[in-house]
Amino acid sequence: MSAAAPAHVLVVEDDANLAAGVMENLRAEGYEVSLTPDGEQALTWLTSHVCALVILDVMLPGADGLTVCRTLRGRGNTTPVLFLTARGDPADRVRGLEAGGDDYLAKPFHLEEFLLRVRAILRRWDWYRSASATADTAMLRFGGNEVDFRVFRARAWTGEAQELTEKEAMILKVLAEHAGQIVSREDLLERVWGYDVFPSTRTVDNFILRLRKRFEKDPANPRHFLTVWGVGYRFLTEGEP
Amino acid sequence: MKATRVFQLTALVLVVVSAVQVGWWLFDQHAYTVEKVRAARAAYAEQTAAAQALLDSGASPERVQQLLPGIVVSGGRAALAPELTQALTTEEHRRYRQYAWEGAFFMLALAACITVIARALRAETQVHEQQSSFLAMVSHQFKTPLASLQLSLETLTLRTPSPQAARPLIDRMLADLARMEQMVTQILESARLERGRVDLKSEPLQLAGAVARVVNQLEERAHQERISIASDIAPALTVVSDPLALDVVVRNVLENALAAVKGAGGGRITLTARASDGEVELEVTDSGVGFAPAEGLRLFQKFTRLRSGAGYYGTGLGLYIVRRLMELAHGRVSAHSDGVGQGASVRLTWPAAPAGASAAQAAGQELSS
Repeated sequence: MSAAAPAHVLVVEDDANLAAGVMENLRAEGYEVSLTPDGEQALTWLTSHVCALVILDVMLPGADGLTVCRTLRGRGNTTPVLFLTARGDPADRVRGLEAGGDDYLAKPFHLEEFLLRVRAILRRWDWYRSASATADTAMLRFGGNEVDFRVFRARAWTGEAQELTEKEAMILKVLAEHAGQIVSREDLLERVWGYDVFPSTRTVDNFILRLRKRFEKDPANPRHFLTVWGVGYRFLTEGEP
Repeated sequence: MKATRVFQLTALVLVVVSAVQVGWWLFDQHAYTVEKVRAARAAYAEQTAAAQALLDSGASPERVQQLLPGIVVSGGRAALAPELTQALTTEEHRRYRQYAWEGAFFMLALAACITVIARALRAETQVHEQQSSFLAMVSHQFKTPLASLQLSLETLTLRTPSPQAARPLIDRMLADLARMEQMVTQILESARLERGRVDLKSEPLQLAGAVARVVNQLEERAHQERISIASDIAPALTVVSDPLALDVVVRNVLENALAAVKGAGGGRITLTARASDGEVELEVTDSGVGFAPAEGLRLFQKFTRLRSGAGYYGTGLGLYIVRRLMELAHGRVSAHSDGVGQGASVRLTWPAAPAGASAAQAAGQELSS
């Protein structure tokens, strides 16, 4: 994605009025916008088009938003997804994010917050892509593991091929960029999810556990993904002596 | 609500504990009786042995029977009197029967209590679930028009568009408000119908006039959504109903048809009516998104939203209200579709106004012609 071309956003919303409002505002912000009113159409659209962001209503005719997102991720499509939904309790948020969503906004929402979140998601992905653009930054090697950030794939020290989720890849990217330094949980949350998305920073811990399981020889005694008690994590490419 | 539940649960626990206690009491009584009978038999055996010892030591049988009245002596052998053995066995059986009857009675009574309480608990849970799902459904239905309204207002604030550019925004806001107003009306209406607090009039009403009033109000919206409404109803057709209920019924059916046709990207709605067998039938046919034939009955249940139409938001109460109002007006309603994408028709049937009522005379002529 070049800096000059406007980012293309797909809006999947069955309510004509709300869709019109969302689209008008995205256009006013300089994005290129497409609309599909139901889930199945969205999935079809996404097989033949590429976009920078999908704004996805959860309650949709055809396939619902969560199914659309899961299907998309199942196909290996990593386009970021921002959920819009009438249900806004923490459990629903977690469900949306577990389905592979990047952010979650409950209806009714504030226009400026909505635009801010759209910008934040696009910025995070811009950062991830540009930070993985050169041959040098696309690959990460540590402790016999090899990670390819561009295709979200890795080969573990066991020789086993690993498919990374986009969140795992992003966390790894942030840690690798600050190798040897302490990165706080809050920093990880902000860089990878944007603030206030998850109810707690425990989520970060769960993702670190997953990374350890994938890449550490002994996940119980990690040598690369080190916990710094009360602060966050430190990543070492060489491994702790 | 919560206190009743606690009370019911406590009662249930108490009853279950009582049942266990009754069971234990029965077991204990039984064991006690068995022990008593065994002891009595042992005592009798000792008496018999003592009598035999006395006989063996040379005591006369008379003397032995005098000392031990329960013993009979015949041919130099001491034995227990048969009536004593008999009495013991009879007493033993009497006790067992008593326990069986009493135990069965208590157990039955307690089982009945448990059933009654468990049923009440289940019924209450169901009502509770229905209520909370009603609240959840209804409040979520409001979120989308609210979001749209808020978005439009904030767009006006953030972007300060020219009056011309603001026009579509304002139209959208008005549409959102109208939508929410309709939803509130439906919710109130269905709550009223639910509680049975409706007092419907029964008067002869001209069907064509009632339909025309609703069509007039919806025509502009239909036009914008590229939907044509054609109504062909003989002015003479007269039904017996409540004027407000008739209006609500026709409006809800038409709103539904509009949504279905809008979902199909435009089309037409046709209203026709005819009289037969003392009834008047209004048929509303649309070229909309239709529904699977099997869904025909489910449509009239509360909260059924087939959501086959894009841009259609409803409470899922519209057709439920229609059904309830038609029932109260001694009429019927049914819906039919050949399948998704095949359009649909809704048929409303009212009792015709009897001949003699001034408004109904024309209907009578219509019938005979």
